Formats: sequence, C-alpha cells, structure tokens
Amino acid sequence: MTQTSDQAGSAAGTGQDAPGIADELLGFLAARTKSTWEHDQDLFAVGGMSSLFAMQLVVHLEKTYGVTISGADLMLDNFRTVDAMVRLVHKLGGSRASAGATAGE
Amino acid sequence: MSEATAAGGADRWPEELFTDLVGDRAAEWDRTGRIPLDTLRGLGAKGLLCAQVPAAHGGLAFSSRRNGELTAHVGALCSSLRSVMTSQGMAAWTLRRLAGAGQQAALVPRLTGGELAAVAFSEAGAGSDLSALRTRITRDGDEVVVDGAKVWTTNAAYADLLVVFGRTEDGAGAVVVPATALGVRIERITDPLGCRAAGHADIRLDGVRLPADALLDGVDRTPALLVTTALSYGRMSVAWGCTGILRGCLTAAARHANAREQFGVRLAEHQLVARHLAELLIAEQGASRACEHASELWDEGSPDMVTAAVLAKHVAATGAARGAARAVQVLASAGSRDGHTVARAHRDAKLMEIIEGSSEICELMLARHALATAG
Repeated sequence: MTQTSDQAGSAAGTGQDAPGIADELLGFLAARTKSTWEHDQDLFAVGGMSSLFAMQLVVHLEKTYGVTISGADLMLDNFRTVDAMVRLVHKLGGSRASAGATAGE
Repeated sequence: MSEATAAGGADRWPEELFTDLVGDRAAEWDRTGRIPLDTLRGLGAKGLLCAQVPAAHGGLAFSSRRNGELTAHVGALCSSLRSVMTSQGMAAWTLRRLAGAGQQAALVPRLTGGELAAVAFSEAGAGSDLSALRTRITRDGDEVVVDGAKVWTTNAAYADLLVVFGRTEDGAGAVVVPATALGVRIERITDPLGCRAAGHADIRLDGVRLPADALLDGVDRTPALLVTTALSYGRMSVAWGCTGILRGCLTAAARHANAREQFGVRLAEHQLVARHLAELLIAEQGASRACEHASELWDEGSPDMVTAAVLAKHVAATGAARGAARAVQVLASAGSRDGHTVARAHRDAKLMEIIEGSSEICELMLARHALATAG
C-alpha cells in the first residue's frame, strides 16, 4: 500500500487503527456505490453523493464505531472524504470494539 | 395464555389512552380546527407526543417500531393529533441530533414535560428547495437575532417552542425560539385543506433577540445534512400515520360494504366495490410492511434506514391518498360530510403527499439512490 503524504498527515498519524478504519470505509463506499473512491476524494462534489447518503454515513459510523455524532460534529465536511471520517471517528474515541456497547436509536 | 394477554394489554396502554381521549371528538376537532390545549399538554406531559425520547430526558424510550405502531393507531383516529405528534417528535429528534449535550439536557425534558414544539422549515420562497432559506440568524455579542418569515409550520399555533431553521453568518443552523419572545408573531392558518386541527401557522420573526446558546451547536455550511437529519424522523412519523389512515379507511369501507344492501345484495358482493376493498387491503399491508422494515432498520442503526424512511413515507402517503379516495367512493353519501373518518382521511392524506418531502421529491431521491447504487 502506498500512502500519500496527506493521508499520512491526517489519518494515519492519529492512531494505529486509522488504516483499518479507512479501509473499512472505502469498502463500505465501494459496496454501496459499486465504484471505487480515493481516501481524499470529495464524495459530495458535483455529480457525487446526496445529503441522504451523508446521513447514511453518519449512521454507518455510529453503528460501526460506537460513536454518537451530534451537535457541532454533524456537519457535511466531516463526511466529505474518507480521511475526514477517520479523523472524526478518532476525535470521538470510536473503535470497532466499542460498537457493540451502543444500541440503535 | 392469559398472562400473555394481560401483558399485551398492559403494553397497549398508550393506544387505549389515545382511544379514550379522542373518543368521538375527532370530527368536532376537524370542524372547529382546534384540539383543546389541555388535551395536548396532558399527552405531552406523559411523553406520548415524542415517545422515542430516552428515559434520561424524561421520555418513554420507545423504539422506532413501538412508536410507529402508536403513531399509526393515532393516525387512524385523528390525523390532526397525529400531526402534532409528528411535530413534537421531530422537534425532540432535531434537538437530539443538532443540539449539544448541555442544550439537550436543558430543552428535551421540556418536550416530555407538557410543553409543545414545532419545527419551522418552509418559507414562501423555500419549500422543497430548502437551500433557498432566507431567515437570518445573526450573532450579536452574547445574543443571536432572528429575522424571517416561515409558512405552514405544523403545530406552531399550539407551540411553546419553535425550532427555526435559517441562515447563519457561516452557513445554516437552527435556533430555538420561545413562542412568547418579543418579535414573534404566529398567525394560525384558518382554512387548511386537511389536518385542520394540527395548528398550522405562519410565523413572523422580527428582530427576535435570544441568548447565544439558543442557536443549536449543529451549524453547517449548507442546510442539507441538518435538514435531512431532522426530516428523517418526520418521514417515519408521517409514514406510520398514513398507515393508520389506511387502517381507518379499510375498516370503515369494509364495515359499510358488509352492512349496506343495494340491488338486493350486500355492497361487498358487487365486484367493483369488492375491488376497492381489495385495493385498500393491499395498500394498508404494503404501507405496514414498508414502515415495519424502515423502523427495524432504524432500531438496528442500519444506514439503510435513511432511504427506507423515504420509501416508507412515499408508499404510505401515496397509498393513503388513493386509498382514502376509494373509501369515500365505497361509503358514498354516508362518508361525504366533513368530520367523517373517510372524509377527513381524503383531505388529510392529500396533504401527506406534500409535507416532509412531496411525492415528487421522494421519487427523485429514490431515483437518485437507484442510480448511485447501480454502479
């Protein structure tokens, strides 16, 4: 795997699980859209995903990493790229291990 | 067996309470355009108008599925009252999503304590296109100032708190405005087509000054994600409410077709009438399954809940509009006066094809989903 300096600086630098989260998210995107995305690609650029899809990402991150995304964290820029989502999960202290502890709404 | 029945009965206390409370008064509420404020406050104080609120905030902590069944029950009784539930529940949900922890702790318990709330999205120039919002929320030292005009806000005529979406200097957000604040004017819409007692009102906000923390923490560059989040709850609630409309219409039409005779036989034995009954059952079952599916996804925390909610809303609202028209056709003159279950359903269901994402907007979202997931 080659990493760009951007990814190294933003995602990989914040925790050892970062590549794992990024890979999982890229897999989620690929499964959902049946096309491949770059970790720094703007998902909501012209011709990209809708705000409905952004909310799917909110729910996916909550379910997968056991975090609650509300208040000031609920902004589109936090879901704009895979890198941004990795940063958000780290900031909220999320991990796959903590996911089992939180039920749905 | 008897134990299971008793448990089931106890679990249905909210339904029984609403049935007793509405009684035969839905027709009167429809004709007068008013539900007594004490009635709404009493339901609110029991947590029944926003039953998914967690216990920590004084709520009943219902699942989406459980709250949905209750919403359908109320929808079959009175769509105006169900619309009040939709608004109150959407306000509570918006606070849980957009408010910071301190804001939630201060505000959400008020919605389970008897105060009533409305969520104001639409403006004269911003209906389906909420990116065109013009209401302004401006910071001024320790305060925010709100200026704008909202239209067709459900529950606003009853509300103590208004959750108002608007533009901030940085983008978009929502502010919680007490209905009694200086500069707020609420004008009840006196002649709505349907849900006539749901407290629809236009709101004027002229230089309304509030403490800065009235602006919810969820502020974004565009309103898209904030509004989509808030509306998701509203769509679930409208979907279940429309399923209730279909259940009310199916019962009324089947009873009438069973009881009335024409040309020497029961109406139900006339094949063209029987077809209406079949179509009503198909619509009711289809809407029920779509709602159950969406609620189960919601309760699991599945990302598929987002499109499932749009689909359920669309299936239920269009089904209710067509189904109610069929029910009026079956009951004919017996159901053709204002206040009758099917007459109300006919008018109420039509409005449900317009709010929380019109049928056309729902179709566009579903089409876009189909395109985005086709690869």
